[in-house]
Amino acid sequence: MKNPAALKSACKDFEEDLVLHYYGEGSTAERQRVARHVSDCACCRLFVDDLHRLLPRMTESRELPQSFWDNYFRETVAKLAKQEEKKFWWRSLLAPMQSWWLPAFGTVAIALLAFGLVLGKGKLTLFADRSAASLPQEVLADGEQLEFFKSLDMLESLDGLEEREGGKVKPKSNQTRLLSMNQAAA
Amino acid sequence: MKTRTISAWALGLFLWFSAYSAFAAAADWRNLSPKEKDRIQRNYQRWEKLPPQDKDHLRDEWNRYQRLPQDERERIKQRYDEDRRRRHND
Repeated sequence: MKNPAALKSACKDFEEDLVLHYYGEGSTAERQRVARHVSDCACCRLFVDDLHRLLPRMTESRELPQSFWDNYFRETVAKLAKQEEKKFWWRSLLAPMQSWWLPAFGTVAIALLAFGLVLGKGKLTLFADRSAASLPQEVLADGEQLEFFKSLDMLESLDGLEEREGGKVKPKSNQTRLLSMNQAAA
Repeated sequence: MKTRTISAWALGLFLWFSAYSAFAAAADWRNLSPKEKDRIQRNYQRWEKLPPQDKDHLRDEWNRYQRLPQDERERIKQRYDEDRRRRHND
């Protein structure tokens, strides 16, 4: 089937000149020469008529419906999102953490823990060392106090030990009192 | 945005150090062996029942012990440990 939109054939020597003539290009003499030929040549006249008929159609802009642009926008956004997703796939692993409540909850939890430990002076049984339940915080937190209570037995017999070392001899009254303390403890 | 990030970091660091210092305070106790902990607890309970003058006396003894030269303190401690072992064996 022949294409009805096809250009009619023009004289080979004038084909290019006819297109230039259509666009109004070329010198005046040249334009007059082409015009004279067109008036004499039926093929070239038909060719020029076809140019007048077809070329405006090629340049006219086609109005597209709004739905086309909506779809175009959606598809472009989807493609960009897909590309972004491929690029940063690991971010999807952290997606649940991107919401605001998780950092807020974490901050509140840490704040409660910190202030609880500081203000509660370690009396929070959940975190406290259960073996230290009978000891006050000021003893637990003070290395010297711990050393003191660890050495209490030795301090009670310090005089005797020093005597045996050839050191200072303490008054008898103190030793007697310490002895009574030891007996009471036993 | 930058100010918010810096504030968040500052608050986080403050809270972290607060929590850390609270835990670190009892580090001496946590580093003790169960036997030492038991000894300290027993001695503390005994200490609680002592009359004030005995407490004062023991405090004085402790201060005196602390002022002794290091080698003497170690000798005394060693002798005390030997005595205790001997008593335990008897």
